[in-house]
Amino acid sequence: MINNTPSKEHLEYIEKIKRRNILITLTRILILIIFIAQWEITARLNIVDPFLVSQPSRIAKTFFKLLEEGHLLRHTYVTCIETVIGFISGTIIGTLIAIILWISDFINKVLEPYLVVLNALPKIALGPILIFWVGNGQPAIIIIALTISLIVTIISVLTGFNDVDEDMIKLVKTFGANKYQILKYVVLPHSLPTIISTLKINVGLSWVGVIVGEFLVAKEGLGFLIVFGGQVAQLDMVMLSIIILSIIAYIMYAIVSKIESLFIK
Amino acid sequence: MGKLTLENISMIYHTLQSETKTLDNINLTVKDGEFVVIVGPSGCGKSTLLSIIAGLIKPTSGEIYLDDKIISYPCNEIGYMFQKDTLFEWRNIYKNITLGLEIRKELRKENIDFANSLIDKYGLSSFKNYFPSQLSGGMRQRVALIRTLVLNHEILLLDEPFSALDYHTRLLVADEIYRIIKAEGKTALMVTHDISEAISLADRIIVLSSRPAKIKRYLI
Repeated sequence: MINNTPSKEHLEYIEKIKRRNILITLTRILILIIFIAQWEITARLNIVDPFLVSQPSRIAKTFFKLLEEGHLLRHTYVTCIETVIGFISGTIIGTLIAIILWISDFINKVLEPYLVVLNALPKIALGPILIFWVGNGQPAIIIIALTISLIVTIISVLTGFNDVDEDMIKLVKTFGANKYQILKYVVLPHSLPTIISTLKINVGLSWVGVIVGEFLVAKEGLGFLIVFGGQVAQLDMVMLSIIILSIIAYIMYAIVSKIESLFIK
Repeated sequence: MGKLTLENISMIYHTLQSETKTLDNINLTVKDGEFVVIVGPSGCGKSTLLSIIAGLIKPTSGEIYLDDKIISYPCNEIGYMFQKDTLFEWRNIYKNITLGLEIRKELRKENIDFANSLIDKYGLSSFKNYFPSQLSGGMRQRVALIRTLVLNHEILLLDEPFSALDYHTRLLVADEIYRIIKAEGKTALMVTHDISEAISLADRIIVLSSRPAKIKRYLI
């Protein structure tokens, strides 16, 4: 701002931007309302088959029923916890492995082709094997979520590490820094934005891993609700789970974005 | 003998395809408090020479003497300033300046006082809490110099420290940095490809040939 009393033009400009933002928000809400309303109406008029596509009022009914029975919160909680553990451990373990590979160029070179193969492999294919190894339960789900994000994390964090300006490393070497100090003072802080953006990617990947894991083994969780609902032909339950899933996935993503903006100015 | 002496320094770079001789038998003495500038065409190995003196790379052959003794690395007497200012964007100006002390675990009172006195003396005290991105190019280069001076090296190596600046700023900063180095009584060895810069700053100029670099001429 140039001075304390903004000009008339400036106020008009701010007003214009504000109006536009309000309009955008209103239109978004309107689209949602119209979509839900037409869903409800077409289902009631039997234009679409409510058994196949469900309908908002039935979803709401299922919601309150499950909530009353006390299962819904439990299912949601279980899935959330698995996802959070999945993406946080994926990011931390991935970063630790990336640090090892950064420290030893030899290990890095040796493991390179293996990483490429593992990265190309659809990790979900490992699901059945993992179940045999760690048992039919939550650990299997978390490990599936972890394996999905791990290799991507290693590769992108290592790329971030190698992206550091050579001169910065030279500089701290002239200060007499050892490898650990180079890591602490230059490489890690320089790569923090990369690590956090990896965390963001891992949130999405972890959801995929957890839901697939729950499809395979779970006795509870939203993924379990989806499979169970499908098996007992209760598409209301499936739809409800998907809606809850998208809302929570969005909230989690928003939280991580917020954390990102705290670290990256 | 002088402050810093290079004796028969040669450097050969190896790749699988070939070997390249970049430095050929460089002999050079820098006296205490002298400002020596090395000029030579781009890519002739000037930066390599500085990296060797700073101990970042080992020469293929030759010896380096500091105060007539063979130098051993890491060496606390030699500071290095780069083409780019290489300030750490995630640290504020004060933290950038004290980075060297922190890494050497020398954040003692007298060193911090010395750092603060330099910060005050060279007009950075009101910018202590700023981040590098908030400073102009010339100012950043001044911070980079102070960061080097804080460690109280006897010898400063300057690798084209002004080449990233625009022409006008470069003249101002070159002048300023020259004054600071002289005022602090440092011995300086700078490389550049800019002959006018060399003439305006140097007590003595050394001209290198193109690769492999040999000393072509000493100018006083």
